[in-house]
Amino acid sequence: MQYNKILSIVFLCSFFAFRAFAQQNTNLNGLVADQSGKSVPGVLIKISPVSKGLVTDADGKFSINLPSNRNYTLDFSFMGFEDLSKNISLGTETHTMSITLADDTNDLEEFTVLGKSELKEIRERAFNVEVVDARKLHHTNLDLGHALDRVSGVRVRESGGVGSRMNFSLNGFSGKQVKFFIDGIPMDDFGTSFQLNNIPINLAERIEVYKGVVPIGLGADALGGAVNIVTKNVQKNYVDVSYSYGSFNTHRTVINTAYVGKSGFTVQLNAFQNYSDNNYWIDVDVADIETGKYYPDQRVRRFHDTYHNETVIAQLGVQGKPYADKLLIGLTAGKNYSEVQTGARLVTVFGDWHRKGTILMPTFKYQKRNLFVSGLDVNVNANYNFGSEQNIDTVNRRYNWFQQYKEYDVPGGERSYTLYKFNNNNAVFTANAHYNFGRVHTIAVSNVFNSFNRIGSDALNPDNDRYEEPRRSQKNITGLSYQLNWEEEASISAFTKIYNQTNYFTMSYNPSGEYGDVAYRNERENFTYPGFGITGSYFVTGNIQVKASFERSYRLPEPEELFGDMVNLQGNLDLQPETSYNYNAGVSIYKQLNSDHRLDVSANGFYRDAKDFIRPRLNNNQTMQVMDNLYSVTNIGVEGEVRWTYRDLLSAGANITYQNLRNNTEFEEGQTIPSIVYRDRVPNMPYLFGNGDFSVMLKDLLGKGNDLNFGYNLLYVHAFYLYWPSLGSEKFDVPEQLSHDVNVTYTTGDKGRLQLIAECRNILDSKLYDNFSLQKPGRSFSGKIRYFIY
Amino acid sequence: MQTNFKFLYAFVAVLAIGFSSCDSDDPQPGPVTPAGESRFIIASTPLASDGVADYLLTAESLTEGTVSTLGNGVEQDGTYRYYVTHKNKFFSMLYGQGNPGAVTTYELNTEGALEKLSDFQSETVQAFGAMNDDIVMAKISRNSADPVSSWYRLDADQLQIVADGKWDQKEIAGNGEQAFFTWVTQVGDKLFAPYFSMKACCNDSFGTSYPDSAWIAVFDYPSMELNKVIKDDRTSFIGRYFLSGLEVDEQGDTYAFSSSVATSNGAMTSTLPSAFTRIKKGELEFDQSYYFNVEELADDYYITAKTYAGNGKFILTMNKEKGAYTTGNRFGVADVYNKTFTWVTGAPSESEIVSVTINNYSERNGLAYIGITTETGSWVYEFNANTATAKEGLKVDGGRITAISKLEVAE
Repeated sequence: MQYNKILSIVFLCSFFAFRAFAQQNTNLNGLVADQSGKSVPGVLIKISPVSKGLVTDADGKFSINLPSNRNYTLDFSFMGFEDLSKNISLGTETHTMSITLADDTNDLEEFTVLGKSELKEIRERAFNVEVVDARKLHHTNLDLGHALDRVSGVRVRESGGVGSRMNFSLNGFSGKQVKFFIDGIPMDDFGTSFQLNNIPINLAERIEVYKGVVPIGLGADALGGAVNIVTKNVQKNYVDVSYSYGSFNTHRTVINTAYVGKSGFTVQLNAFQNYSDNNYWIDVDVADIETGKYYPDQRVRRFHDTYHNETVIAQLGVQGKPYADKLLIGLTAGKNYSEVQTGARLVTVFGDWHRKGTILMPTFKYQKRNLFVSGLDVNVNANYNFGSEQNIDTVNRRYNWFQQYKEYDVPGGERSYTLYKFNNNNAVFTANAHYNFGRVHTIAVSNVFNSFNRIGSDALNPDNDRYEEPRRSQKNITGLSYQLNWEEEASISAFTKIYNQTNYFTMSYNPSGEYGDVAYRNERENFTYPGFGITGSYFVTGNIQVKASFERSYRLPEPEELFGDMVNLQGNLDLQPETSYNYNAGVSIYKQLNSDHRLDVSANGFYRDAKDFIRPRLNNNQTMQVMDNLYSVTNIGVEGEVRWTYRDLLSAGANITYQNLRNNTEFEEGQTIPSIVYRDRVPNMPYLFGNGDFSVMLKDLLGKGNDLNFGYNLLYVHAFYLYWPSLGSEKFDVPEQLSHDVNVTYTTGDKGRLQLIAECRNILDSKLYDNFSLQKPGRSFSGKIRYFIY
Repeated sequence: MQTNFKFLYAFVAVLAIGFSSCDSDDPQPGPVTPAGESRFIIASTPLASDGVADYLLTAESLTEGTVSTLGNGVEQDGTYRYYVTHKNKFFSMLYGQGNPGAVTTYELNTEGALEKLSDFQSETVQAFGAMNDDIVMAKISRNSADPVSSWYRLDADQLQIVADGKWDQKEIAGNGEQAFFTWVTQVGDKLFAPYFSMKACCNDSFGTSYPDSAWIAVFDYPSMELNKVIKDDRTSFIGRYFLSGLEVDEQGDTYAFSSSVATSNGAMTSTLPSAFTRIKKGELEFDQSYYFNVEELADDYYITAKTYAGNGKFILTMNKEKGAYTTGNRFGVADVYNKTFTWVTGAPSESEIVSVTINNYSERNGLAYIGITTETGSWVYEFNANTATAKEGLKVDGGRITAISKLEVAE
């Protein structure tokens, strides 16, 4: 604790030291027009080496105040025009520019206005945030989970093929310690029908990965980071349709379309579908159905792993009105069906057990800049999910990998005889406002409210229902931040968050001692915890930026951890939140070597001191798992990324992450001697991993407007032990993973409207395991066709 | 919850049938002196909260020295395992996970190290016991919607399942509740399955409205058909969840203990004392002439577990405060022939003990080897049933001892 205090003071002091550098500034003004001389609003201007950005106003004008006597490069970009780069030398006198953008007949990707969002991206660089430009992946078949797997510090582990469970880890935190958002709205409550493993990358415009400190605008209780998926900010009519077919009978369809009328009337529709048999080959010891004897090393196909989901997101409303920049009401509706092929180990095989889930979620979004007064921006969102989840295990059979089974003529299931269906009735309400004044000051407040009210029943055991209610939980997180932003030099932000949770539940008891007699006692518990943090960034020179942050954060227990899932997880109402002190420091270098070569390098170090990790253990009679506050860890790590680009022709990048996640529980309960695994590396967690990628863009290869793009991606994960590394001499491990993916994209048609993509994943057919013994798909092929109009 | 957690730790200490050799011709106690042809097998679980697996260690002596899991031992796949030694093979089996999985079997090679025999697939079960050449396993229903249990007969020579079938726990109980077997034990040519009655529903699955009766379901072998259920109202149920309450002595008589820990809606409801009863050799009824009230002699402590040291003498693990899953922290010697009870001296005090191994070792020569974890470490203690004394033996570094067993070098 003392240690943390000292560190935080050091952080504070170092931030305030930044202001010691005073500078003189000069104004830079300009006007952007098209070839016909008409002004172009909304053009994104990136200014390097200060890494600032701005957009032209409604008259195509821009103005900025920059340090004097320096050289700058201004990059202009806007949908439908070719990118333009201008070098200027700014003296001490106001500089005025006039820019003409040339029409781009071949602008494939940028068919929506991106200025605002990219600007935001740059502004938020004070946080340790990595931004994935999802548009560059729209031609692939990736879902959000697999796209995130290419980000440094991130490791996504999956248990099988399309739609399989994914376990996301970020700088050593995993599971529910990392929070997910879509456009700033927490995703926790969306159910299985709308998750990372089924949302196609095409739905996203970009993905922001916050490592450590999370802005209060994403006002949730993330312990060690958050992922915000930003969807398209629609301002134009467009249609984007794609369909792909690939190995294992995998079909995927994505339709994204929007209509924006002159009046600002907006209709937006996103629909997507995934289907896969997931019947890929695996190597496994097959047990004799009668005797349990193993036939070793058999090559068999998975046979009960079909997954499909269908989701529609419809939104209707207005944009650009005096009372609202954006006011949308919508409905997200979807369902998924998932067969369960295996348990935690490949030797455990099922043939009938499956799950279903639905989402039916009305949504409301409101955004307004300069509300009442200039500089006051307001954002309000609300959702309510009527969706349900069901576990269906009613066939009393025992299967083996040869698809043989023994059937028993009594009621029973493969794992647990159940038809339990539940509805969590999740409501989410988020609101945030920031007020910008006096050029450098911004005050922001945010609030996130979650409500959970589970109602469930099991048709096979209807008598049980009356013992199981109510199970309600409410969570409210309020954040307040104050930011100082000296645009071209430094930015510092301090914030505090108040975490509040209220749980309502009923304890059943037997008032008379008579069999079956039951009465209820209502209980209510309320907890409040404070969190705080500080973050800042500073430009050492024009193209070298350093940033640092410190935070004390909490992750409150999820309703499922408090109340159980009624199938495998027993509730624990005594759970305390997980807490962590997070420290980050990083440096980024943006270097334009000459007009053709560009090099971007970044490196980050992080330290986490986390306590009371919530982990599963067996309950007293070993019938279910129960979550408990079990142990503490520290994690010190580094990650680095380098990217080189040569014109538009070549791009190559690599990132690598090393994290040293150590057990920090010195004394186990009841012990006065240090634990044998104190300071041992936490097992079953990848600690060295990275990605490499390379792409070649051959423009106008077969005549004007016909482009060929070749892409390659490498994934590497170092082997790691399943159990504590220091113990035992004959051990289980998860072997090294090395996977190569390639894709070829051919773009043709008027204004580049048709794309044909061929993709091969795991081209060397390597045996890949994320979790011990759960083999992932081998080599797979897919073809995709994408067509869009804007 | 924290308190229960401690009990759980002790509970996770898995059990095994010490199908020890019955050559009780020499009742004189003497130190165990393993020849070069045998090794003790000790299963240890690290005291850690996550990523935990069991490790199998070998030792030449239980009375001296130190073994450690640091860089040593055969890692097991997780800790939800139990261990059975039968026919000079060491079986590492699965329990409590719901899913079937791989069982690994070891024998001792000429270097005195564990060598893996072929794996085979098995269900995860809640009761098991050696029966002739087989190991019988039972996967027991605890859900009133699905009251049917499965049994399996595993051939310990062929290392595969040779027969399986179903039992209806509701039908066996016959009182509207369900029978949950605490354990299965070979008695003569029959399989005895003592059970407690459970509601198996209504948010009180392990509760019962019948807290003051003992039952044993008797099965024929090898048909595994229910022969009869025998009942005794002088004690509560025999054994405890996942813990054996029966022992067959050198004469072939069966002694049964009851902890008297039945519950309803979380409250202790048994009113009878913790005591021993008996079933005479060849009979299928409780011996109404035999009753041994231990609780009365043991200052109101009750029995949580037993290790049979031979010649009618049990080393009992005892506890003061009742709990359905509590393991004891004080030791006594009960002589079931003479109905005497003596507290053991030389073991760590009640307040020092964190957990006690349930799956222990004895050659029925008056000595028993029991694993004890205190706040400063884990040791095997040698208990002498004749003198009611205990002394510290082998130290096991790295965690809790979950099983103590012995293998001879395989031929």
